[in-house]
Amino acid sequence: MDVLSQLLGSGVAVGMIYAVIAFGYQLTFATSRTLNFGQGEALMLGALVGLSLVGHMNYWLMLPIVMLFGAVQGAVVERVAVRPAIKSKSEFGWIMATIALGIIFKNVAENIWGHDQLPFPSPVSQTPFTVLGVHMVPMQVMVIGGALLMMLAVELFNRRSIYGKAFVATASDLDAAGLMGINTNLVITFSYALSSMTAAFAGVLVAPITLAGAEMGAVLGLKAFAVAIIGGLNSGVGVIVGGLILGIAETTTAYYISTGYKDVPGLVLLLLVLAVKPAGLFGKTVIKKV
Amino acid sequence: MLAIKELYAGYGMVQVLHGISIEVPQGKVVTLIGSNGAGKTTTMRAVSGMIKPSAGRIVLAGRDITGKPSHKIAKAGLAHSPEGRRVFPTLSVTDNLRLGAYPRLTLGRPRGDVDGDLDKVFDLFPRLRERRDQLAGTLSGGEQQMLAMGRAIMLNPEVLLLDEPSMGLAPLLVEEVFRIIRALKERGVTMLLVEQFAAAALNVADYGYVLENGSIRCHGPAEKLKNDPAVRAAYLGQAH
Ligand SMILES: Nc1ncnc2c1ncn2[C@@H]1O[C@H](COP(=O)(O)OP(=O)(O)O)[C@@H](O)[C@H]1O
Ligand SMILES: [Mg+2]
Repeated sequence: MDVLSQLLGSGVAVGMIYAVIAFGYQLTFATSRTLNFGQGEALMLGALVGLSLVGHMNYWLMLPIVMLFGAVQGAVVERVAVRPAIKSKSEFGWIMATIALGIIFKNVAENIWGHDQLPFPSPVSQTPFTVLGVHMVPMQVMVIGGALLMMLAVELFNRRSIYGKAFVATASDLDAAGLMGINTNLVITFSYALSSMTAAFAGVLVAPITLAGAEMGAVLGLKAFAVAIIGGLNSGVGVIVGGLILGIAETTTAYYISTGYKDVPGLVLLLLVLAVKPAGLFGKTVIKKV
Repeated sequence: MLAIKELYAGYGMVQVLHGISIEVPQGKVVTLIGSNGAGKTTTMRAVSGMIKPSAGRIVLAGRDITGKPSHKIAKAGLAHSPEGRRVFPTLSVTDNLRLGAYPRLTLGRPRGDVDGDLDKVFDLFPRLRERRDQLAGTLSGGEQQMLAMGRAIMLNPEVLLLDEPSMGLAPLLVEEVFRIIRALKERGVTMLLVEQFAAAALNVADYGYVLENGSIRCHGPAEKLKNDPAVRAAYLGQAH
């Protein structure tokens, strides 16, 4: 029982990281029907930039700087890799372009920070504690809280501000949004900035648990992609539930079966969802205009 | 107010408009009539920047807007209520209307009294006031049309383009749409109107243009077009 509750704690924390990266995939998909396949690398860069900064400054000052860095990095990805592909009406060009940029980012990171997994300081105490019978370390709580807060902030922005509504309008009808006076190209760039900012933030959150290194992004990015597909590319609740399912499945499988098989349940689930409900467990078919 | 000069436009390799010229003077209602596929919607799309003209000039309130992106044209004061309504289904009625005023809310255009104008739109469309918090996707077709028109008015536009506002509506609602167009005209709104009900459009308009296969076949005061035998035979027999 004790072990199970620990597994749950870490499963939920890992799951929320998947959820917040998957949420980033949704942001760009909403505005432009494109995904940043370098999302994992945005996370990795966030973690490593954070690591370099945190030696020189307060952790809480480092966080907004890393987020700003992530936003700029995302805007660059959109301008360099996505916009030209959309402009030339190349249907799949953005896939290759975002993957290519991701690889470049990874190579750059290897040259700057090397190939090793580096320890990342935790801003909170390492002493485990118990909430509702679940054993957790404070960093896990911070990961869960931070991820939820990030998604909530974006959601609030979309609902409350006129710019957020412009974002929603662009996502639902690009041409009509343009007629409203909304600069839809800018909104798409912004969605990439927001998406990479979220990933960079997730990188800093997860690094104290996983260690930071140039390799860290690839697997996380892929798993989060699976979560986005499992949960549905347009469902906020979906990515949270999908993230939790995957996170808990992984930690429990690793313990009860074998670490070697920890990725299997999630991928089996992914295959099942694709076969049975391709729009995702919570994916809704968008309301069609009459 | 709006001047279209020798406009050529189309889709990809397909030319649809072959050098058309249309003038919409300030405070007037001008209607563009023509059968299905004549190029009416294409004209409106080229004016509002949804497609890029291949040649010609479009001038709005003295400013050349030819080939500019839609959002800049909207900021210059052109509102376009597009064919097929195109309301934002996942946003509330009020949010849709406020987005119509987006350039005013984001300082792209003089702000004025946005909330007051919202109230005026609700006066014009009482149904929308009742459903202000409802998602636009859950409205009936008629209500969505009202919303699309209301949203365009929220810009406080120099010129309002209305593309088939009565399309697919029950006869009673069609009358309602024309009542609203009249009300807008009385307020001095400058309009370019495309309508399948050519007779009704010529009744409300000051001036009319007849578009055939992407060229202007004739134009003149609405009164005169209504009595033109050729126009009567081709367009005023029945709605099409
Ligand atoms: N999106 C489009 N892509 C290609 N051709 C189009 C498109 N929209 C309209 N057309 C063509 O352009 C011509 C004019 O269409 P349109 O302007 O919609 O006519 P109208 O509004 O007068 O009925 C038609 O032949 C139509 O098939
Ligand atoms: Mg049409």
